[in-house]
Amino acid sequence: MQKEPYVKNYLSEHYGSDSYRTLEGYEDAGGFAGIKKALSLAPEEVTEAVKASGLRGRGGAGFATGLKWSFMPKTSDRMKVIVVNGDESEPGSFKDRMIMERGPFQILEGILIGAWAMGARRTFVYVRGEYKEPIRALEAAVAEMGAKKYLGKACFGKKGFEHDIVIHSGAGAYICGEETGLLESLEGKKGQPRKKPPFPAEYGAFGLPTTVNNVETFAHVPFILEKGVEWFRARGTAKSPGTTLFGVSGHVERPGLFELPLGTPLREILGLAGGMRGGRRLKGVMPGGLSMPVLPPSELDVGMAEELLAPKGSHLGTGGVMVMDETTCMVRVACVTSYFFRDESCGQCTQCREGTGWVHKLCERIEQGRGTAADLALLDDIPSLMEGQTICAFADAAAWPIQGLLKHFRADFEAHIHEKKCPFSESFEL
Amino acid sequence: MAKITIDGSEYEVADGRMILQAIDDLGLLMNGVDIPHYCWHPKLTIDGSCRLCQVEIEGMPKLQIACNTPVKDGMKINTANERVAKARRGVMELLLINHPLDCPICDQAGECKLQDYAFDYGVAGARTNEPRRPAKKSVDLGPTIVFDQERCILCRRCVRFCREIPKTGELGVFNRGDESLLETFPGVPLDNAYSMNVADICPVGALTTRDFRFKIRVWFTDDVDSVCNQCARGCNISVSRSNNKIYRYVPRRNDQVNDTWMCDHGRMSYKLNGQGRLSHSRVDGKAASAAAATRRAGELARQARAAGGRIVGVASPFASNEELEAFRDFLGELGAGQARFAVPRGEGDDILIEAEKAPNAAGCRALGMSETADSLGHADLAIVLGHTTHAAAFADVRRVVLIDSHESALSARADVVIPARTFLEKSGHFTNADGIVQRFNAVVEPAFEALEEREALAEILKAVR
Repeated sequence: MQKEPYVKNYLSEHYGSDSYRTLEGYEDAGGFAGIKKALSLAPEEVTEAVKASGLRGRGGAGFATGLKWSFMPKTSDRMKVIVVNGDESEPGSFKDRMIMERGPFQILEGILIGAWAMGARRTFVYVRGEYKEPIRALEAAVAEMGAKKYLGKACFGKKGFEHDIVIHSGAGAYICGEETGLLESLEGKKGQPRKKPPFPAEYGAFGLPTTVNNVETFAHVPFILEKGVEWFRARGTAKSPGTTLFGVSGHVERPGLFELPLGTPLREILGLAGGMRGGRRLKGVMPGGLSMPVLPPSELDVGMAEELLAPKGSHLGTGGVMVMDETTCMVRVACVTSYFFRDESCGQCTQCREGTGWVHKLCERIEQGRGTAADLALLDDIPSLMEGQTICAFADAAAWPIQGLLKHFRADFEAHIHEKKCPFSESFEL
Repeated sequence: MAKITIDGSEYEVADGRMILQAIDDLGLLMNGVDIPHYCWHPKLTIDGSCRLCQVEIEGMPKLQIACNTPVKDGMKINTANERVAKARRGVMELLLINHPLDCPICDQAGECKLQDYAFDYGVAGARTNEPRRPAKKSVDLGPTIVFDQERCILCRRCVRFCREIPKTGELGVFNRGDESLLETFPGVPLDNAYSMNVADICPVGALTTRDFRFKIRVWFTDDVDSVCNQCARGCNISVSRSNNKIYRYVPRRNDQVNDTWMCDHGRMSYKLNGQGRLSHSRVDGKAASAAAATRRAGELARQARAAGGRIVGVASPFASNEELEAFRDFLGELGAGQARFAVPRGEGDDILIEAEKAPNAAGCRALGMSETADSLGHADLAIVLGHTTHAAAFADVRRVVLIDSHESALSARADVVIPARTFLEKSGHFTNADGIVQRFNAVVEPAFEALEEREALAEILKAVR
């Protein structure tokens, strides 16, 4: 694991420093200016500032953070809760891990700002079970803040501002990264997304009013409070301000994390990642994690922001950029992708449970040279039966990459069917 | 109230209800407004997973599930256009790729929602020949239910039933994705007082009752509305019959009485109709014609009255309101005063089962009859209408005339025994524990000569005169 991104910006500026992981070091680097600013404002003013900043959730869906905060009931006789999504289960995404490991106090400070704005009494940080080091880093940070009375009865000496943070380890399932699947898992149940309504703001963790935000989302919040809305909006695009940690993986010379403003052209990101490995030619890029449709090389000039990617038929997702060179068999990619979603579907909704299995079987047939033109026609059709019809977005996430691969790399599929084998050198079986 | 439009027709529905609930409230679901569904059940929490009830709502870009979309005033809903039909076809196709399609050997055939909706929205041919999900046949889930794992469509109605109604929670869906399987928790068989309801709510042939499975094809039976007589709740039932034989009870929905459930004990009580029946009249322990028996009963009454002896009438909480009234009048004619009755008692629960193990104690009380479980005291003659389990109370009674359907300790000592019909062989009304008067209908004819109680009383009265 890298200690710091290859390209740094405000978020990761101090990630190279081990002392930044300690409370003292964090404060020395100017930490906690955001929460102090927030506590001088009324809670509504904080929410308004986050709204005005245009900050969008960094967990994949890109929902407006300030708007989400405003959904929390203003008055409630029930305890209000914040849940932080650190499950980071999207294949190709590894940014939250670095933020939790290298900047745990940024997240905790962001949480406290959110807690002040929303009147939340308790936070649960749900961290992917395999992330042992991030859990250690967060737990140590919470302990330090507790000892310094930055948490607890009167956080930062503010009377009436009570807040506790609990670090919770997940048990390992993709679907527990889905907002309400995560809540079920947090409650100790099988990780299955909840139907909506009710929405979490009304009935969330343990039935309490809840806001769920991604780890990175909270990490940006202190900067907005400290440096101001204008400063934040000066980075990124008008509709997607700020930076993000792009995680580049696959066939590049220098895979890793790069903190860049949203809207940075994909070509530039690939350049920073050292270009294609071994001088090979690019074949396709999944710009936002495994669940987002692939882009062909002709789209390399697209800016990496949701509003710029959507017209190109893909999405920003978690900003996990997966690069594939000319040696890649796209049918094999479809096979691996569909296997993953088949394996990870929670199995509640008919279309997702049955559709993911069927799609995988079709991909496998074609990859193994057993496929026919009829199978390809089915592969065109089945994802459309799944998309947009289920409790959560998982079925979309399973359908989109297959649709993307078929759209841009149909020739690969046809070659498998025509030659009755995989035309690429490595044979493949799951 | 909210006004909603479904396929061009306006309906006024209660605020805050989901679309499917609102239509069900009006009694129109699958009865004028057809929105097919599997996981939704009117008496269970909403699951929202089968996705079959998707409808188009004007102004919403995606199709929405009718079971979990709250109604809004002015909402315009389309349930029948091509977009909705396409979504339903998709759901049906996906449900069927892992379903064995073994209808010819499946006991649910004929009352299977998968069959019904496949007929409406399915396609004749399969688009895949991939092997189906491996699953078990004929799984022993417990004493009452047999499970065919292959046929399960994972609607989880049974899971929610066990958690929410008997609150025993024996069932769960294990594993994920297309490897999901319904199972019992290890070492916990499906065994509760209401377990057989899971077979009713299972929309497919996955859960069937050990008792009914393979007994008869359902299309050879027809159903008669009745009321269970095993406790004072009076659960509404449909009785399936064929060739003058009763095959099963299934609960019939009545939101005031039993929702859509009944207990396993009540369900299995259909067997009592054929067991231990009084099949012929007896006088002094010897077989006699019905005419001879009623004549002898009349004689005994006349003699007792002439001797100035005490005649006591004993009514049964198993008798109908009509019979109880006739009995009251009969006793009045004899000058015998108000009838007594006794109720068998047992354990009750806070779901359906009442401690009073008879259907019509409330009917007896409504007529002013008094309850006597212990001795009837000295009497020259007791005339007993209907089944009574308290034979010991008759210790000091000289002679007993018994009109009853089943053998009992009392029938063994009665001087005159007149076989009667069970509640399944006649019609009438019971008054349940909450004072609700409910009709039951004749389902079968008795296999032997048996009078209706009222006829027997009239015959006896003729003989007295």
